[in-house]
Amino acid sequence: MRASRVLTFARYEIRRAVARKKVLALVALTVLISIAPYYALYATHTSLITPPLRPYLWILGVFLPQAFFLQFTALLIAAGSMSEEYEQGTAEVLLSKPVSRQEYFFGKYLGGYALVVGIVVLDVVLSISSATFVFGPQQQLGIEPMILLAQVFAALVFYSFAFMVGELMRRSSLSYILSASVFFTSEVVGVFLNILYTLTGTNIYKVANYYLPTSPVDSLPLLLAEPKFPSSVQLVFRFAATPVEPSIGISALLIAVYFISAVLIALTYFSRMDVAKRVT
Amino acid sequence: MATPEAVISFEQAVKDYGPKEIGPVTFSVGPGEIVGFLGPNGSGKSTTIRMLLGLIKPTSGTVRLMQRDPLADHVRALERVGYSPELPNLQSFLTPRELLQLTAKELGLGRKETDDQLPVLLEDVGLIQYQEYKIAKLSKGMVQRLSVAQAMMGSPKVLILDEPMIGIDPAGVVKFRSLFRDFVRDGGTIVMSSHILSEVEALCTSLVVIHSGRILFRGGIQAFIRERLGSRSILVEIADSSAFEGGALVGRISSLAGVKRVSPAPAGLLVEIAPDSDPRAEISRLVVETGGNLVGLGYSRSELDEAYISAIRGTPAQ
Repeated sequence: MRASRVLTFARYEIRRAVARKKVLALVALTVLISIAPYYALYATHTSLITPPLRPYLWILGVFLPQAFFLQFTALLIAAGSMSEEYEQGTAEVLLSKPVSRQEYFFGKYLGGYALVVGIVVLDVVLSISSATFVFGPQQQLGIEPMILLAQVFAALVFYSFAFMVGELMRRSSLSYILSASVFFTSEVVGVFLNILYTLTGTNIYKVANYYLPTSPVDSLPLLLAEPKFPSSVQLVFRFAATPVEPSIGISALLIAVYFISAVLIALTYFSRMDVAKRVT
Repeated sequence: MATPEAVISFEQAVKDYGPKEIGPVTFSVGPGEIVGFLGPNGSGKSTTIRMLLGLIKPTSGTVRLMQRDPLADHVRALERVGYSPELPNLQSFLTPRELLQLTAKELGLGRKETDDQLPVLLEDVGLIQYQEYKIAKLSKGMVQRLSVAQAMMGSPKVLILDEPMIGIDPAGVVKFRSLFRDFVRDGGTIVMSSHILSEVEALCTSLVVIHSGRILFRGGIQAFIRERLGSRSILVEIADSSAFEGGALVGRISSLAGVKRVSPAPAGLLVEIAPDSDPRAEISRLVVETGGNLVGLGYSRSELDEAYISAIRGTPAQ
């Protein structure tokens, strides 16, 4: 596998994804979610934001999109990555050149993922800037690179899953629907399992919740960040989510298992199957 | 059996789609040929081409491109091969220049090579003034031209063209013919699938005819016509033919070797001949000798059309 060809396809994939209006719309929405809460909180003069909380409000913008918008954006970018090339008949032209299927596969995978990372970084920059602008200088920013790494690592789960579904289905509408269904189902089932555990105290509900794909995704950045902040700031984290997983290690392991499985399945399928002619 | 120097070869290649099977396909193409790949819709042309490009895996048999397996050794087999698909759907968000730059990167061309080739190719296919337009804004014919340009990027040795003339205006067709002839003159090989038989007749040096997944014919165009047509007809056009007393002429033409029958036609005479004979020179001489004013002489219909239809129907044309 040649790095130059992988890079060519990665750049191509970024360009292709950015050309899609729905991806741009979601990026715009993510930006809005990163900055709007600060101005809303400022405008409403809520008593929730006490002076000791103000230097830590950057956390709000960083974590608010974590549970939904970042995952959904990752999913949307990945679901069409392979499938749209089949639908538009462009895969056969790209693959009729002297490039290996692995170069094409990993180039597209990494290109789309680089875009997801870019969106996470954009979210972080806008959150910190908005928090600083509205509520003054922010503290504990030194931990942000670690949170960023955790967020982009966690995004691999639904990014890889949607990428895999796109390759297996080879129909973008089906891959969007199926990937989004799994994502929403996991979120909803997670909430129900949590309620059942709270009501009954039965451990099986708690353990089952660990293995839902959304659980480690939501938990890892929170588990890393929460201990580094004063207890008075925990309220801000609750705006985002409550960690489900018992430890950072289990969260990271589950994320790795989910995304590596999805990548391997997609790569095996793509390497062995025929390159479909244009399908509509 | 493929010759050692064959650039393309199929040996009993079969693609089984379950309800439909393409193959066994066996033929080879040598360097310097322009091969017309003919067959009706659904006959297996695209499948055969896609097996050749390593896009689909044959169920059995072997396929070689540049003497390599296009699946197992895809990168090296495709190094000097250009492909233009049928009804190309190119990346609509790119411009022609960007598409060719992408192609150049896929081929591993350096910046200088790319900068040298790109304007020449865009000029050759008549798109130089549209190089900064989005492909989405180009007409169908322009996209077809661009598809051929991307196939020719990187100085390939083999061009595989699936219906390259579809949607191209007459001037473009003439330009493409010249482009393809130059390509072969410079040592290239072309396999071209087409439904436009006049185009195949004008450009190709040999044929592969496929029908229902089976190769019906592989060889020269004239050999195909000879094999498929039981007879051919020559139309002899004579000025003011109604006033011309042609009784003697009919008798003399009838006596020529290879002539089966001579009958009157609205503009002169229709001469039916054996497929392996060509008495056109003698006929023209006889018309002049008998005082006729010869204004035209040629085969009365497209022979390749007739031979092709005969092959597809499975019976010699009558």
